Amino acid sequence: MDRFLGIVLVAGLGCFVLAFVLSGLYPWMLNEGSAPEATLDELAEDVSVEFKDLKERWPEGFRQAYGAEEALNLQELVGVPEGDARRTASDAAWRTAYRKALQDGRDAYVGEGCWHCHSQYVRPVANEDTRFGPVSRWEQDNNALQRPVLWGTRRVGPDLTYEGTLRSNDWHAAHFWDPRVVSPGTVMPAYRWFFRDGFQVRRRIDPDIASRTGLDPQTSYPVPGVYDTRAEAEQAMARVAAETPENLAGERERLFIEEGRGLNDRGLSILAYIQWLGTWQPQPVEGGA
Amino acid sequence: MTTADVPFPAGAADRPDERAATGELVHKALVKWHFTLGVFFMMTSMTAGFLVSLNFLGAYPFEDIPWLSASRLRFLHTNEIAYGFLVNCFVGAMYYAVPRLTGRPVFSKGLGWIIFFVWQFIVLATSVGQLLGFAQAVEWGETPTGFRPGTFELNYIPIDALIAVGALLVALQFLTPLARSLGKRMYVTGWYLTAGIVWLILTYVMGNTLPEWTMPGASGAATVGLFIHDLVGLFVTPMGWGLMYFFVPIILRAPVWSHALSVIGFWALAFFYPLNGVHHFLLSSIPMSVQYGAVISTMAVEIVVTTVIVNFFGTMWGRGHALRSNLPIRWFYTGMILYFITCLQCAFHTSLTLQKTIHFTDWVPGHAHLVMLGVFAFWIIGIITWLWPRLTGNEWYSRRLNHWQYWLTMLGLLIMFTDLLAAGVVHGWMLDALAPWMDIVDAMKPFWHVRTFSGGMILLGTALWSWNLWKTARTPKPYDYRVDLVDAEAA
Repeated sequence: MDRFLGIVLVAGLGCFVLAFVLSGLYPWMLNEGSAPEATLDELAEDVSVEFKDLKERWPEGFRQAYGAEEALNLQELVGVPEGDARRTASDAAWRTAYRKALQDGRDAYVGEGCWHCHSQYVRPVANEDTRFGPVSRWEQDNNALQRPVLWGTRRVGPDLTYEGTLRSNDWHAAHFWDPRVVSPGTVMPAYRWFFRDGFQVRRRIDPDIASRTGLDPQTSYPVPGVYDTRAEAEQAMARVAAETPENLAGERERLFIEEGRGLNDRGLSILAYIQWLGTWQPQPVEGGA
Repeated sequence: MTTADVPFPAGAADRPDERAATGELVHKALVKWHFTLGVFFMMTSMTAGFLVSLNFLGAYPFEDIPWLSASRLRFLHTNEIAYGFLVNCFVGAMYYAVPRLTGRPVFSKGLGWIIFFVWQFIVLATSVGQLLGFAQAVEWGETPTGFRPGTFELNYIPIDALIAVGALLVALQFLTPLARSLGKRMYVTGWYLTAGIVWLILTYVMGNTLPEWTMPGASGAATVGLFIHDLVGLFVTPMGWGLMYFFVPIILRAPVWSHALSVIGFWALAFFYPLNGVHHFLLSSIPMSVQYGAVISTMAVEIVVTTVIVNFFGTMWGRGHALRSNLPIRWFYTGMILYFITCLQCAFHTSLTLQKTIHFTDWVPGHAHLVMLGVFAFWIIGIITWLWPRLTGNEWYSRRLNHWQYWLTMLGLLIMFTDLLAAGVVHGWMLDALAPWMDIVDAMKPFWHVRTFSGGMILLGTALWSWNLWKTARTPKPYDYRVDLVDAEAA
């Protein structure tokens, strides 16, 4: 066997294939090979409340990322009768947008190297089920978003298997902008390229309330929507003013435009993906090991 | 088997009159340029690693620049070491070793330059793609596929396919002389290099296609584990040992202690090493039978390692003072001792008992640095240190700087290894004790400061060496072969 061909055939091919059969193909035959992999459409079947909330918070970024003009939120659906075509169209538009967000979000999760510091893999030891949630089963990872799996390499940050819905979208947005604001002492880098700059409409608080509560009368809060140009923001301000009821006419005077920022498509998608983690549960498989 | 039967690598003697005979056989410019680019990527990779470590101290300088984000630079750190440093240096060393071993030239000098340029393009395009955010989720194979996931739409240069082509060209280049020595008794270096080249192609294609395109979830993870381990065990390790079996007898001017042991070492590596793959994901949802198999074969690898180590220390027997007088030999044997430690560590920490504590902690990067830097990079540094004056024809600009590099790198690595191991144990125990997550992070911070310090030592040592290599190549000062022969013949 100390001839060239012997080495190529026995060692090179034989030992390599044996290892692949025993540690790659065999587990596949036991488990994944016996159950169909969940497709992206199945994963995006139930559009989460958190995803719909993204549209309310960052409507302009959402429109730029997914289009989805027909996707209506609860407020917009008020008065639309059951069975109306608009409801069906809305549901379909939501699912299409969600599907795109999950795929793009996963790609961003990979490209930004999130999986080097966060695991998606709860072990049956070290009290991990107390800390993170139920121990991982293979069925959970038998889906299109785990190709290749994102089990991770190191836990500088916590496991994210069940991270979805644990925290609000606002928390995550603040955390991406500056992790130390919401999580003092963390070593996670900031991800400021998840945000886009623009102009937003803001509203100062009522001076009466300011004087009664001792707040600075210049305190203001944003109206959702970050626009690329000042002109678009002005149109938006006109719309907000027009929608303000007569008995609150004073409110119109306190609207103004300022530079601001909101999540861009990358930020919205990765947030949608993180809020999805752990929310999808597979059907139990008969006879799985 | 008596020593008279032991095949001795060809071209063993390095006397000036024999240089003329091998002058046409070895394409020195290719050796030199592959080494040069290899050392360049070693520097960039180490710089990236050092910068990433600053992030853990809250002192990262480029936080607002997306393509210099610490999390993206981490891809560059590991991938440039694998594909930029290791592959370039192994290929360079093979351009020297294979023709001398087989007595035949490589396939073609022209193909050599094509491979050289294609490969540097691949490494640079990989780094650029990763910095732009096109990494693939395969550890140590984050080279971009170039396709949008699940489709055949291109979104970047298809690096994975290019690397497979590059590896095929490398195979054509080196397997040609190896195959032409068919029928002759092959020295063990030939076995290792032949198998290593074949395994590189198979491993790379398997790891970068199956988990991405066909195998989901846990079995995909098992395949990714197999890929990570095969890349180390079936490419880097055979290349490293093959070159050690070539260079150590030449430098020590002594035959390998036992040919039989070297053969046992080879076949045991071929059989047991690839079976280890799944030990990267223990206590996971991969079937337990597969996990137990991986643990047991990992322990079996320790037997392989012991045979090889015994063989090399047998070769060294009675010549131990070369460790003091001969710097390349010191690099080689330091690497071998660290190899023994690293494999012994492996045999223990893949037990489920230790996995419970150390998995997902800094223990693992500590282990990885000991293997990649302490073993394979040390061997490559030794090889380049021995060959560089012979390739350039110039005496070292400074032999003292080489010794500075040895001590800075070696001590830096030992500090880093100890530090990360300790950090891993603390992390694991705090996890088990249900300590709040931020308390764990705070407990890691002193260890991370030590890591940055030790990384700085390694980076400084490597920078001194790079500068020395550069000045040596540029400063004409005829190299006297007798200087190194004195070391060897005193042995």
